[in-house]
Amino acid sequence: MSASALFSLGTKAMAASYSALATTGHNISNANVKGYSRQQVELATAEGQFSGAGFYGKGVDVSTVTRAHDAFLSREAATAGSLAAMDASRLDMLRQLESVFPTGEQGVGHAAGEFLNAMVDLSARPTDAATRQVVLARAGEVADRFAAAGAQLDVLQQEVQETLKAHVAQVNQLAASIAELNQRIASVLGLGHSPNDLLDQRDQALADLSQKLQLTTVEADDGTLTVFIAGGQRLVLGTQVQALTVEVDPTDATRSALGLSDSGFVRQLQLQELGGGTITGLLRFQNGDLVDARAQLGQLAAALSGKVNEQQALGLDLSDPPGSGAPIFDVGPAVALPNANNAVNGAGQFVGRVGLTVIDPTQLLASEYALRADPLGAPGVWQLTRLQDGLVRSIGSGDIVDGMRIDVGPPAPAATDRYLLQPVTRAANGMKRVLDDVRGLAAASPLSPSVATTNTGTGSVAALRVVSPAADPQLTAAIRFTSDTGDYSWELRDRVSNALQSSGVGSWTAGTPIALNGFELELNGVPRSGDAFSVGKTLYPASNNGNALAFTALRDAALVGRGPLSSGGVGGGSSITDAYAAAMANIGVRVQGARSTADISGAVATQAEASRSAKSGVNLDEEAARLIQYQQSYQAAAKILQIAQSIFDTLLDAA
Amino acid sequence: MRITTANSFAATVDNLQQRQQDLQLAQDRLTSGKRVARASDDPAAAARVERALATSARAVADQRGLQASRSAMQQVEAALGGATEAMQQVRELLVAAGNGSYSDAERANLGARIRGLREQLLSIANRGDGSGGYLFGGQGSAQPPFVDGSSGVSYRGAGGQTEVQAGDLLPMTHDGAAAWLSARSGNGVFVTAAAAGNGSGAWIDAGSVVDPSALTGDDYRIDFTVAAGVTTYSVLRNGAATAQLNLPYVAGQAIEFDGMAVTVQGAPANGDRFDVTPSTPQLSLFDVLDRVAGELQAGGRSSAQVAQTVSSGLRDIDASFGSLQMQRAMAGESLNRIDSVEGRLAETQLSAQTERSLAEDLDMVQALSDFQAKQSGYDAALSTYSLVQRMSLFQYLK
Repeated sequence: MSASALFSLGTKAMAASYSALATTGHNISNANVKGYSRQQVELATAEGQFSGAGFYGKGVDVSTVTRAHDAFLSREAATAGSLAAMDASRLDMLRQLESVFPTGEQGVGHAAGEFLNAMVDLSARPTDAATRQVVLARAGEVADRFAAAGAQLDVLQQEVQETLKAHVAQVNQLAASIAELNQRIASVLGLGHSPNDLLDQRDQALADLSQKLQLTTVEADDGTLTVFIAGGQRLVLGTQVQALTVEVDPTDATRSALGLSDSGFVRQLQLQELGGGTITGLLRFQNGDLVDARAQLGQLAAALSGKVNEQQALGLDLSDPPGSGAPIFDVGPAVALPNANNAVNGAGQFVGRVGLTVIDPTQLLASEYALRADPLGAPGVWQLTRLQDGLVRSIGSGDIVDGMRIDVGPPAPAATDRYLLQPVTRAANGMKRVLDDVRGLAAASPLSPSVATTNTGTGSVAALRVVSPAADPQLTAAIRFTSDTGDYSWELRDRVSNALQSSGVGSWTAGTPIALNGFELELNGVPRSGDAFSVGKTLYPASNNGNALAFTALRDAALVGRGPLSSGGVGGGSSITDAYAAAMANIGVRVQGARSTADISGAVATQAEASRSAKSGVNLDEEAARLIQYQQSYQAAAKILQIAQSIFDTLLDAA
Repeated sequence: MRITTANSFAATVDNLQQRQQDLQLAQDRLTSGKRVARASDDPAAAARVERALATSARAVADQRGLQASRSAMQQVEAALGGATEAMQQVRELLVAAGNGSYSDAERANLGARIRGLREQLLSIANRGDGSGGYLFGGQGSAQPPFVDGSSGVSYRGAGGQTEVQAGDLLPMTHDGAAAWLSARSGNGVFVTAAAAGNGSGAWIDAGSVVDPSALTGDDYRIDFTVAAGVTTYSVLRNGAATAQLNLPYVAGQAIEFDGMAVTVQGAPANGDRFDVTPSTPQLSLFDVLDRVAGELQAGGRSSAQVAQTVSSGLRDIDASFGSLQMQRAMAGESLNRIDSVEGRLAETQLSAQTERSLAEDLDMVQALSDFQAKQSGYDAALSTYSLVQRMSLFQYLK
């Protein structure tokens, strides 16, 4: 037993207390650093020495500095944060999308309603140039609003692309820093102590990276961390990094997709494989909500334009001589986009050809379609998938589905070719008014009814509608009732020569129209035997307003989204203002849903982060208490030295 | 659970921001007065608002159409009113012309005045509606619909009515042919006329129906023969003789056959013939006035011929007058209908606006108390933050 034992005890105690104080100071200085884990000095009792009178302890050793870190909690916090970031970024973009479908007088639906309402004034004064000018001005307003909404959607697409590029650049930077940290951690791992600060930095880089893109990690034996994204693609392996890139989506050149560059070869990342993060939120918005919004807007534009142009063609305008009305609107075309990976010939042009033509714009649906060869290999059969609801149908070339005709080939595409059919997606962007001359509005109907003055029954004309452009004004239809119960005989004669073209008999019941020569005649009252009605060419088209009345009936007509009925024929659908209200409500529901999802995932992320920081975070009060504790133990250890020194002095004095 | 300093500060800041956002949102609602500013605030209510707005805009447009129809029908009704007054004057002139003591010159004067009234009536029939169309143009006419030609006034327009959409289909024009050219000739059932080659001693009145169930609708003829001072008459039906053959003629006595009764006055000459034919709905008012004025202005006519002119003329003028009255009543009925449609449109507009307000507007009382609650919540959060952050062990370790 010597004084030096006491000295070494005191020295070791002082060193231990000093390192504990230093670590506490380190904790206090880093209390507000993101991702910092509280560090703690591990003190261990030194082994006792046997001295014949018992084991005497040798003081305290500092074994190592550990950090308070739970890998599970950190991983949970990172994953929850990643989901919350995805929902938040999608909500952000959806809020901007909502402004494309405003309520009230700014909306596209109101403009369309006002255009059709202006037709009421046209039916009151069909020859008035000022009234016609108002109608054309309203038509221009409708076209402008649709085009502006389409342009806003284009701006959102642009924004998605730019934001993706910025985030991808950050991802690459973070991946590079993770690789560098991997290298430094691996190089000091052999020293036997854990490099706490480096590990903290790497964990924080991982947390930042998982905000952008959800990832999984696997720890290797040499201390490096391998980072996988998108269901198994490796982003960081040891010290090697693969670059994430923003590519042009091969199905649609206006959209962006993610690619992973693997030694010169770029691998496409599929959206379904990406889990969470801001980037995934942006891509989900681009491929889901933005596409749906475009399709809904385009469906409205195509249906309104198609039906209005159709009604124009059924009437007579004010030109001299009067002709059938020219189209008022033009919309963006229906396109079939070939996939960028489709077969090309030597000159770089695509071998296969798919054409898309709109047959009935009122039956177009708000969806895009995927076309490919039949997977079972049947020749001439193609598989059409409706992307909005996933309906798969087999079609042949020239089939008419959902209001459009699909012509496949010639030349026929290869078996591996894919096409994206967009019947309505670009319709709103390209909408414009193409009629500028007020005389071009077709307010007059080519056929007019007349009732013979010698009729004895109470029959009168309720309405005459021209329903087909094939109605021939050179033919006069004479309908004569042959009984009191509605039997009639009809004749179609040439207007000039009175030569008989065709004749026949029919039976009329109240409420059903008499259809001949492309028109439908509805009668009120009860005609008696011998009563005669005739439908012939309008003699004075300048002051006739039959077609203008038909335009006003379009306010209630089902224009949008009709479909085949089980009983045959076409029906269903909604009017233009109802369809806009539905589209606007659809976007509103998405925003509401995204908002509640973002609230929930945000709350989960906050909770997970609170749990993680409960384990790893610094509490300043706790550190203050520790400071006092270690200060006391330092003072006590210094006292040991002082006592040891006085013992030595005593020994020296005694000698 | 351990509270860590950084985390607790971060959580408090988050909370403060959230409360501030809520307060801002409540303030926005109060200043705009709307509960639904965007579709995502309440999608179902936003869709209701959209539909209510469309209904309201439509009601406004329909009311414009209704105003156009009302002004057109008011003009039509006024025109027909003016026409009936003119016809009343014609009738008075014609009655005056029946005065036996008038000379040819005086009757010619009356004929000239009737011609003047006829021109006035033609200009009423061709009256425009002030915006390029014609009130009586029917389904459309280019120039004035009534054209005075060599064979009388003809109608160059399409029959029927032009209509405007105003909720219901309301009329904008009136059928000119039906108004002016389609009265029922004769007394409504049959027409009596003296044959052209008759002598100047007898005239036939308008006749009347005594037994509607015995009417046949055939053409009848009454032939008079004067032999040895005895005047007899025979009634022929469709050219064939009937039971009434060579009956003695008594002036002023009614001749009845097949439910009809006519009276011949004066002294018929031998071979005089009077035709009784079914009436047709094609009596033109202008033709009547032309005929009457022409006959009055012709000189050298006997009193019986003048009496025939006056009798047939009054009959035809009354028929045309009745037709005009009926058309005027129809125009008045249209105006009544327009009034009720207007009432309905105003109700539709009001209910659409109410619906919109219910779906979209803010309940002020609720919103104000909401705002107060949020304000005090924010206040509490701020004050507790300032209290808590001061408490730290370092304060006590001086």
